[in-house]
Amino acid sequence: MTGPIHGAGGVAPPPPTAPPPGHLGLVMLGLSMGIVLMAIQLWLLTLAFNLYLLGDRRGTVVAAIVSGLVFLGGLAMLRVLRWTSRRR
Amino acid sequence: MSTNENDEVPANRASASDEILSNRTSEGRWQVEFPFEWDADDLVSRRQLLRWSVWASGALFASTGILAALSFTRERRRGNRAAIVKASEVPVGEAHYFTYPGPEDHAVLLHLREGRFVAFSNKCTHLSCAVYWSKERGRLLCPCHAGVFHPETGDVLAGPPPRPLPRIELHEEDGMLYAVSESLT
Repeated sequence: MTGPIHGAGGVAPPPPTAPPPGHLGLVMLGLSMGIVLMAIQLWLLTLAFNLYLLGDRRGTVVAAIVSGLVFLGGLAMLRVLRWTSRRR
Repeated sequence: MSTNENDEVPANRASASDEILSNRTSEGRWQVEFPFEWDADDLVSRRQLLRWSVWASGALFASTGILAALSFTRERRRGNRAAIVKASEVPVGEAHYFTYPGPEDHAVLLHLREGRFVAFSNKCTHLSCAVYWSKERGRLLCPCHAGVFHPETGDVLAGPPPRPLPRIELHEEDGMLYAVSESLT
């Protein structure tokens, strides 16, 4: 650990990947949405496990489909962010 | 590792520590003894965190998908026909404990009304405690977390169990009760 140390008395280097001006809100929105949706996915997983033990095949498949849609939404969000970054 | 070994600090390590300490106030000196990747922490950008969360989301989707796929291969019924007890040996309102389908799978047979028998696995669907028949309350009870099950259907009436008790199909022949299969639904 020989690099510049900041925090208590040191000098902080600029963040290497800071969002462009006016872009921070979009990244934060995406991040918070991602975390909320991931929590929903975690709940869906426990629900699917219960339905699986219950023998409810249809319910388990529906939970998997919804979870997949959330994942696809996350991927789409990443692509949008990448696209808007390139435009700037 | 003995205390003497700790006291001997290599020269290059000591000079690195001095360099770090020269950039710090005394409040931060503990970090020399407990180093962590301070600079690497800063490299985790919001965008990178977002990317990781999307991959974590993919992992959660994959897990749910695996469960969905497994649900197609899971048997809904299990067990072979096995004799339990003579019907006349279980009075009305009483229970008979037996094992089905395997020797470790405990189950309970109830004689609810005259000639009306039902049987369930007596493994609680919450945390697998043994469920017992309470004649006074007319309910199947789990003593661990106060789970209550309906004696006719095995449905959860109270407590934390998330699912009904698995039901065991019965068949009576020549006064003998047989377990035919255990239904997992």
